[in-house]
Amino acid sequence: MLWARTPYARAMETPVEQPLEFDHRHHTRDEGIDCRYCHNTVDKAPFASIPPTQLCLNCHSQVWNKSPLLEPVRKSFIDNKPLVWNRVYKVPEFVYFNHSIHVGKGVGCVTCHGRVDQMAAVEKQTPLTMGWCLECHRNPEKNLRPVSEVTNMTWHAEGDAEESGRVLAEKNDVHTRTSCTTCHR
Amino acid sequence: MSSHDQDPLQDHPEDHARSTPSGNGASSGSPRRISLPIVDEALAATEAASGAVREQRKYWRSIAEKEGSPKLAAAAQREFPPGASELPEVSRRSFMKLFGGGAAAAGLAACHPSDEQAIPFVRRPEEVTPGNALHFATAYGVEGYGLGLVVESHEGRPTKIEGNPDHHDSLGATGRYEQALLQGLYDNDRAKQLKHKDEPLSWHTFLSQMATLSGRHAADGGAKLRFLTEPTASPLQLELRKRILEKFPKAKFTSYSSIAGDGAADGLRLAYGKYVEARHELTRASVIVSLDADFLGEGPESVRAMRQFAGGRLPGAPMNRLYVVEPALTVTGMSADHRLRLRAGDVAGFALALAAELGRRPGFAQLAGIASGGHGVTAGDPKWISAVASDLIKHRGQSLLIAGRRQSAAVHAVVAALNAALDNVGTTVTYATPLLADPLSGPKALAPLAEEIAAGQVDTLVITAYNPAYTAPADLKFDKLLARVPNAIYWAAYEDETAAVSSYVVPAAHALESWGDARATDGTISLVQPLIAPLWGGHTDIEILGAFLGEGDLSAYEVLRRSWAAKQASVPGATGEFDQVWEKWVGDGVIVGTETSPEAALTLDAAAIQQGLGALLAAGPKGAGVEIAFVPDYKVVDGRFANSAWLQELPDPVHKITWDNAALISPAMAKSLGVEVERDNDKFSVLVIEYKDRRVHAPALIAPGHADDSITLALGYGRTGAESVASGVGFNAGVLRGSDAPWFDRGAQVSLATGMHLFGLTQNHWSMENREPAIATSLADFQNPRSEARELLEERRAALPTIHEPHDYSKEQYKWGMAIDLGKCTGCSACIVACQSENNIPTVGRDQVVRGREMQWLRVDRYYSGELEDPEVIVQPLACVHCETAPCEYVCPVNATVHSDEGLNEMVYNRCVGTRYCSNNCPYKVRRFNFLDFTSETPAVRRLGMNPEVTVRSRGVMEKCTYCVQRIERKRIDTRVAGRLIEDGELKTACQQSCPAGAIEFGNLNDLKSRVTKAQADERRYDLLHELGTRPRTAYLARVRNLNPELAKG
Amino acid sequence: MASTATSASTTRDPLEPIPLIQGVQTDESLNTSLLDHVWRSPGKGWWTLFGLALAGLGLLVIGVTVTLWKGIGMWGNNIPVGWAFGIINFVWWIGIGHAGTLISAILLLLQQKWRTSINRFAEAMTLFAVICALLFPLIHTGRPWFAAYWLMPYPSVQGIWPQFKSPLVWDVFAVSTYFTISLLFWFLGLIPDLASLRDSSKKPLQKTIYGMLALGWRGSGRHWAEYKWAYLLLAGLSTPLVLSVHTIVSFDFAVSILPGWHTTVFPPYFVAGAVFSGFAMVVTWMVPARQFLGLKHVVTMKHLENMNKVILATGLMVSYGYAMEHFIAWYSGSQYEFDEFFQVRMRGPMAPVYWLMMFCNVVVPNIFWFKKARTNLLIMWVAALLVNVGMWCERFNIIATSLHRDFLPSKWELYAPTWVDWSIYIGTIGLFSTLFLLFLKFVPAVAVTEVKELRHELAHQAHGHAEEAHG
Repeated sequence: MLWARTPYARAMETPVEQPLEFDHRHHTRDEGIDCRYCHNTVDKAPFASIPPTQLCLNCHSQVWNKSPLLEPVRKSFIDNKPLVWNRVYKVPEFVYFNHSIHVGKGVGCVTCHGRVDQMAAVEKQTPLTMGWCLECHRNPEKNLRPVSEVTNMTWHAEGDAEESGRVLAEKNDVHTRTSCTTCHR
Repeated sequence: MSSHDQDPLQDHPEDHARSTPSGNGASSGSPRRISLPIVDEALAATEAASGAVREQRKYWRSIAEKEGSPKLAAAAQREFPPGASELPEVSRRSFMKLFGGGAAAAGLAACHPSDEQAIPFVRRPEEVTPGNALHFATAYGVEGYGLGLVVESHEGRPTKIEGNPDHHDSLGATGRYEQALLQGLYDNDRAKQLKHKDEPLSWHTFLSQMATLSGRHAADGGAKLRFLTEPTASPLQLELRKRILEKFPKAKFTSYSSIAGDGAADGLRLAYGKYVEARHELTRASVIVSLDADFLGEGPESVRAMRQFAGGRLPGAPMNRLYVVEPALTVTGMSADHRLRLRAGDVAGFALALAAELGRRPGFAQLAGIASGGHGVTAGDPKWISAVASDLIKHRGQSLLIAGRRQSAAVHAVVAALNAALDNVGTTVTYATPLLADPLSGPKALAPLAEEIAAGQVDTLVITAYNPAYTAPADLKFDKLLARVPNAIYWAAYEDETAAVSSYVVPAAHALESWGDARATDGTISLVQPLIAPLWGGHTDIEILGAFLGEGDLSAYEVLRRSWAAKQASVPGATGEFDQVWEKWVGDGVIVGTETSPEAALTLDAAAIQQGLGALLAAGPKGAGVEIAFVPDYKVVDGRFANSAWLQELPDPVHKITWDNAALISPAMAKSLGVEVERDNDKFSVLVIEYKDRRVHAPALIAPGHADDSITLALGYGRTGAESVASGVGFNAGVLRGSDAPWFDRGAQVSLATGMHLFGLTQNHWSMENREPAIATSLADFQNPRSEARELLEERRAALPTIHEPHDYSKEQYKWGMAIDLGKCTGCSACIVACQSENNIPTVGRDQVVRGREMQWLRVDRYYSGELEDPEVIVQPLACVHCETAPCEYVCPVNATVHSDEGLNEMVYNRCVGTRYCSNNCPYKVRRFNFLDFTSETPAVRRLGMNPEVTVRSRGVMEKCTYCVQRIERKRIDTRVAGRLIEDGELKTACQQSCPAGAIEFGNLNDLKSRVTKAQADERRYDLLHELGTRPRTAYLARVRNLNPELAKG
Repeated sequence: MASTATSASTTRDPLEPIPLIQGVQTDESLNTSLLDHVWRSPGKGWWTLFGLALAGLGLLVIGVTVTLWKGIGMWGNNIPVGWAFGIINFVWWIGIGHAGTLISAILLLLQQKWRTSINRFAEAMTLFAVICALLFPLIHTGRPWFAAYWLMPYPSVQGIWPQFKSPLVWDVFAVSTYFTISLLFWFLGLIPDLASLRDSSKKPLQKTIYGMLALGWRGSGRHWAEYKWAYLLLAGLSTPLVLSVHTIVSFDFAVSILPGWHTTVFPPYFVAGAVFSGFAMVVTWMVPARQFLGLKHVVTMKHLENMNKVILATGLMVSYGYAMEHFIAWYSGSQYEFDEFFQVRMRGPMAPVYWLMMFCNVVVPNIFWFKKARTNLLIMWVAALLVNVGMWCERFNIIATSLHRDFLPSKWELYAPTWVDWSIYIGTIGLFSTLFLLFLKFVPAVAVTEVKELRHELAHQAHGHAEEAHG
């Protein structure tokens, strides 16, 4: 009971090794690339989707196209063998999470994934327990932001988050649901 | 053998499935290759998943180390030769419980570190959005015509079959077979290896051998070259035939299907002097007489016919009236207003009697003449016949007579005459030039070929017809003959009876893996496109025929495209760039404007019929003794679907038999034979049936409403091929079947064998025990507001006194509800398979069904009333009715079944601990329990076809109908992202979508304009077990029988 | 000393034709005679029985293992018969437990002297019966590994609680309380005897074990005072349990809407039935036990007769319960109810069970109207056995028979138990016997202290009478 509540048991706050040294800090903070450039199905599908190799090469066929760091990427493209990443965020098989509706109603990436722009290797920031989901689904206001700001890592509500949240909920017609089949089907 | 030919994990550069989004709610994008590795990874994933990980929905996130692939590759190697199913990881038992994944300890997964991996595409096809389904149009049919389909695909894996609303025969619905196609596709038992006399062969070697062969035959114009094909109306097939016959003038094509009847063709030829085929238009028919025709249950027109028939069953509008004359109850017979049970052999007598009766009426003298040709052959109750006659006359021009495929040319000719005399031609029935390659394709068509083989006049026989060695009439001994053909090239879906005796076995590509084209019954052409590249490198029949034109190395895709590029001009309105036209054709699933119009000036040759009849009747079955009558099985047809556990476990609509066929006999006959019934009305004596020199042991089943002294035997069972699901199920009735009388004959000897047989029936009780769960009433009673029936209906929907204020759902955005119209429902059971496919429902096998543990969420109850010899029948589909005050909810100790804000009765699998209390307290008994682990042994390849939107249930968990909540939630999210509400009709449950009759309405009860709201406000509406105060969300509409006052009982 | 002897033998309470203690007994004689069977190495009889019991236990282990390994599918259950042997046996065993609690608690409060020599026996029975019963609710679930803790109310990370409206949750509380109290009650009563065992034990090991169990009992006045209080207190606590436990068990059915379950008479008639079967079980075991353990002088015919009277009384209550069920089924005017009782149960495929139940529970007990039967060992033993059978049939009737044909004829199915069902059922009997035989071997089967106490009381009374006589 207590064990289940420890960050360790939830595999939180442990950076996950990846097959190639991809650094979110560099891409998002230094280059200022929007999350949706790579995770480009996040607003129309359940999955944010991990970018296909092709997408990496959109840039890296031009820049750093000799860099040994990127060898696996080029190899993957040439051999038509996918890059294999280690998953950081995972909900159980019987949970149906849908990114598009959350992003579409103004829940920011940072709310669940944390300051990815400050992570060398991405780590799990939130427990992803049912209780945690319900907290927000029961009163989402404090986690809402303008839809335009969802990928903004540093956005903060002016004044009372609760209050502005209520306004946004009205505006974006947010109806969080807590019926079981919302997530379990 | 090069593993490349069969290893599903190898890429097939040539034959990537090209897929095009259809016009039917498909998502955006232009044609792209669904790169095969996706499927490979899915295979790998599911292979890996057979261990701990039970991820089905997001294969691309759940793929463990690539170990998966080699393992499967290895498996593929071992899957040869026959006996594929004897794979260690795929035991016989596991086939009893196909699709699935299970999640034994999933409950804990929530708080455990994930060591899974995420595998993105290398190149993501443009139209693919991981997690969003695509829809592709194609077509499929079992009797030469194609039914338009729309197939749902997840990341390149077909997962659900629906009807194509734009298709003439489908109108958006499907039959039971189409729904089960996926099982045929993802079937580990499929033929996987190209072989010559058990020697593995590569496709290229095969082609070169065919080249030499055709070279040899070309010398003598193909005198010893024969082709045995399925009946087909496919333009491409016909074109290839033409070209082959040009190359080999002396070669011959034979169309053969053991379920095709030749009576219709011959009869109409007799009537109209040339081969024509009948097309029926039931919307215009107010009186329909079926002479042993199960037109709602079988045949390429059935899906459409059912929609049209159901349309005429509303008491509000003028209702149609259906008379059925048949030996054994069928889907059509169960829907009849008046039914006359008659031996199949006596139907001819009935037709003549009816003609004679009409002949006696003013204005039908012509018929009297025709009837006289019958030389006094007659059958049927005169009172009944005269009543029907009067009714027909009353509705002259809006009546329709249909004769069944089993009936002789005589019957079909007389029926043609009757339709003509009643001015039905041109309104309810039209005649058109046959679209099928050969007008005759029944068992009789096979005889000449058999003779040629016997006479050694056949060197090369190309067989693309289904399993002739098994389906051919017994007296032809076709299996023996085939063994004598030097080069028998069999296009094999499975390594079945025919494969065993053919020299060449060419693995067939599944319909969902093939390019091709097909015609609807009105001639409209559909392009058939693959949903996935051949899993085991199968080839299409196009490619095999092509081999004899030296085009074998062209893919079917090329052949098809070329042929249509050439024909573009012939299609009205198909102008412009071919690529775009092609896009549209493939996308829409129909090529508009290609229907063929019926023959105009046809004149009935009454005299010819009159002369012809005598000879025909003389030739037909006669004599005394017990009649044996064969029917294509309702589920496995002629055995071609026998390896689909969904269909095997589907209770047949009338007798609710699963995993079996039976000798259906009337109660009286059972009595006279001394047939014993044991246990819970599901254990019967076994009969020995002897006919000519042939005999078979067949378990009896007492069939109310069956004609006396007649035995109905379903074909397609007792299979002996290498098909693990099919083999050992039922008995082969075909061994009694003769080519002279392929459908019915008299003179069978029947006696009791020792021993009893236990059937896996899903419903053992015939009577409603005076509880009237399914209400049927006559039109007269219904129109009289004082009638008992009306009072009963009132009572069954009136508000009940309650001590607590029922919860008010009217404030919610949605209030989901369903209405099922018993007047429309024919019991065809397509919905059951649709539900099974949509919701990943496992099959459990015969033994579990016997124990009462079948898993189908949706069942169709069948009740008899009146006397057992000749009962009235009513069917009632029943799944969870989503009670507003649900008895199951308050007894669950762990909150695993609860109520949603919109009134859904939710079942939360991952919370369920399996006390089964909810089921005990469910008065409808619609909950299903995973008594054993029915899912985790599912072969990886079968998992590809599962619906990723639905959790796979593990052992010890309760499940039930959810109103397809996964569809509701996905639609809700899509619409809410778009910032609007779900509109009426854009959200359909699986059962509703597949229902040919349109008997099921589902939608938002808070929307006063929605179809379901209107349906629930109907005068016929009532609630099942209303008196219990459960407030079900599913309402029923009583069946109204349009009785003929002259025949109405009492 | 002689005087006490004579007085004890000559002057007898005329109202007690058969004495509660027979023959001339002193504390020492009682001590030796009642503790004797603990020290005596067990005879052939015990070993044979114990062997049989262990065999039964083996069956249980097999049955449970198969069930957990393969799933509930190994049982005969199906849809509609979601509950069968599992719950039948659960209710049956719980019922059997009731005699113990009734005897020890209620009769104590009512100061029924005759309880003393049998209460230990009956309490042990309760304990073991409840252990057998507790097994079923767990293994009958589809996923016991979750059921084990999701039925417990604790703040879970999912933020869900058990569903307190469900009778199954009430069961969890009712039965676990029942078990705890019974255990304490039994053990507390045992302490003084454990002490005397400690004192009279020869081997050091025995001495230490019994010593530990005796919790340092020295028999000081203070000990006795506290002891008495505690005992009385627990008696007070368990009294309501006698009524509550089976009442709540009966809610599992009464709360549902199923014809044959949805019945208001259930609570009282379940309790009566429980006591009925409980006493039957006590008699079934007591008759042979007093024979083999040489307890005839303390467990006298009077005890047996009294128990038979209780069986008769409760049997009549049960019969009344049946009568009411049938009457209401007819009077309610509900077709489902009527069919359930007058078609399905009387004439359905499972009718034999119904008629067997009627015979065993309604006809058989009436034999105890006759003193001959009440005091004839063989007759009472057979009758008691039949009652046990009958009560099992009653549960089968209520659970399986009601389920297999309910509202919609389309989903009527037969029910047939499998070998696993039987081996688990027989297995629990094995478990029960094993525990019971061990109990007979290692602790005094009757409450020695209480009997001694009783002897003193009787002797005291006797004195009283004697003086009157002399005066």
